[in-house]
Amino acid sequence: MNEPAVEARNLTKVYKALGKRPVHSLRGLNLSIARGQVFGFLGRNGAGKTTTIKLLCGLIRPTAGEALLFGKNSAIPEARREMGYLPEQPYFYEYLTPRETVTFYSRLRGISPRQQKEQWEKLCGLLELEDIADRRIREFSKGMRQRVGFAIALVGDPELLILDEPMSGLDPVGRRLIRNAILRLKSEGKTIFFSSHVLSDVEELCDRIAILVSGSLELEGAMDNLPGRRVLQVEVIASGLDPETVAGLAAGTSHRRVEVGDEFRVNTLEEANRIAARVLDRGGTLVALRPVTETLEEYFSRVQQLAATRTGGKSE
Amino acid sequence: MKRIQVVALNTLREAIRDKALYVLAGFALVTILGSKAIGWISVGQDIKIVKDICLAAMSVFGALTAIFVGTNLLYKEIDKKTLYTILAQPMERYEFVIGKYLGLAALLLLDILFMTAVTVAWILVLKGEISPVFFQAVLLIYVKLLLITALSVLLSAAASPILGAVIVFCAYVFGHATEVFRDLPPQIAGTPAEPVLKTIYYIVPNLSLLDLHAYAANNVPVNPLYVFWAAVYGAGWAIAMLALACVAFENKEL
Repeated sequence: MNEPAVEARNLTKVYKALGKRPVHSLRGLNLSIARGQVFGFLGRNGAGKTTTIKLLCGLIRPTAGEALLFGKNSAIPEARREMGYLPEQPYFYEYLTPRETVTFYSRLRGISPRQQKEQWEKLCGLLELEDIADRRIREFSKGMRQRVGFAIALVGDPELLILDEPMSGLDPVGRRLIRNAILRLKSEGKTIFFSSHVLSDVEELCDRIAILVSGSLELEGAMDNLPGRRVLQVEVIASGLDPETVAGLAAGTSHRRVEVGDEFRVNTLEEANRIAARVLDRGGTLVALRPVTETLEEYFSRVQQLAATRTGGKSE
Repeated sequence: MKRIQVVALNTLREAIRDKALYVLAGFALVTILGSKAIGWISVGQDIKIVKDICLAAMSVFGALTAIFVGTNLLYKEIDKKTLYTILAQPMERYEFVIGKYLGLAALLLLDILFMTAVTVAWILVLKGEISPVFFQAVLLIYVKLLLITALSVLLSAAASPILGAVIVFCAYVFGHATEVFRDLPPQIAGTPAEPVLKTIYYIVPNLSLLDLHAYAANNVPVNPLYVFWAAVYGAGWAIAMLALACVAFENKEL
């Protein structure tokens, strides 16, 4: 029970083709994801994200190292019993309807007809499948396909979900639907491992992230404590202050009115502490004091630049 | 076993929903009915001609289905990436290969049963006689199709559909003429061609052993023991090739 949901031990993949140079897609990846975490797996195109995911799903064999799901080698079918997978571009049998597709995968997992019925209702509620349930998939848009793909990943109510670019190519409504589904699953304690280029979603959803550069793990950390993430400003929010105090505090800070009161932004923690003390001293209420960090997108770009500088521009 | 059954039933459903197969069945139907027209030309031989042409049509159209569907069977799944989500399920790869094979075998069985029913009905309409050897011939045609299907599936796991279809088609043609490679004319002896042709004789299944058309057309009885051993021979080849397909697919990078 204490094994991590996902573990990569020195995971390496080299693609070899006759007459071509070997391609090192993944270089000695070590990763451990605890149960119940939402883990964002980031990297540029070609960084090795999909290769890692395929290794975790047992679709390809590692050149070296091993991929483990709940302590079992992912190449063993039994290891994948508690895993659901959504590929980057979900492909289905076009001649089936979503209802038939979900039934097909349910039967592959040995789910009884009664459980299938209950499961279908749950999936319909989560992914709004009812309207498209009996239409052939060949007529579907990208968003509809993604919903069906997500439904397949959820067949059997697995503890672990591996999602490759789940928000890719979706319109805002589709993205919201998938994001809400992930949040709901997170609240149920599922472990979710997903790759994405939509960094705002990663920032909102993930507990931890890892960044892959050219097949190597560049860094890994908790979302609220990423190594080397720059603190740009410190934000103090207070309420119950008289106008005179607000005017006094606003001098030398970036100030604006917010719903709960007044927001002051300063450049150092010392300044923030001074404002907080003054708020309390003047009988106000300190609502929040928090660092304003660079966005994940800025952080990601900086990590890529640092990696490129270190390797002489070979991080592509 | 359950998962094999699920994949097989889905493969059958896919093939049935694929309209291209109806075209093949239509062609077979036209050939069967057209044999009557040829029968008119062969005065007094019409029943024999109908049987002969119908059995040949079953064999050829069945083989075409086996080759064109079979050589695409795994390749299409890999190419369209539909098996990503399937093989990520808690299932063995061999279960998928065997399931796909059995699905196609079930489709061919439906094809053969349909064509046999039409042929029998047609012969009865023409007031002809159906003897047991006719059904023995049909049985061995089906065994032959199982063998061709297994070869097609093997090549589907390892080659493109076009290359696979060409190889299976060659095997089909050579397989009906293996005696030619065994009983080589004296002028071939000692030439570089001799070992090549002998090798073909040994590596290509002898499909003519499964061919009872002439006996069925002429109502000549065939020993059931021969039919049994011929079926075992064909099934043995099919199992061996299916096993090779499973091994080839096991290590396939997706």
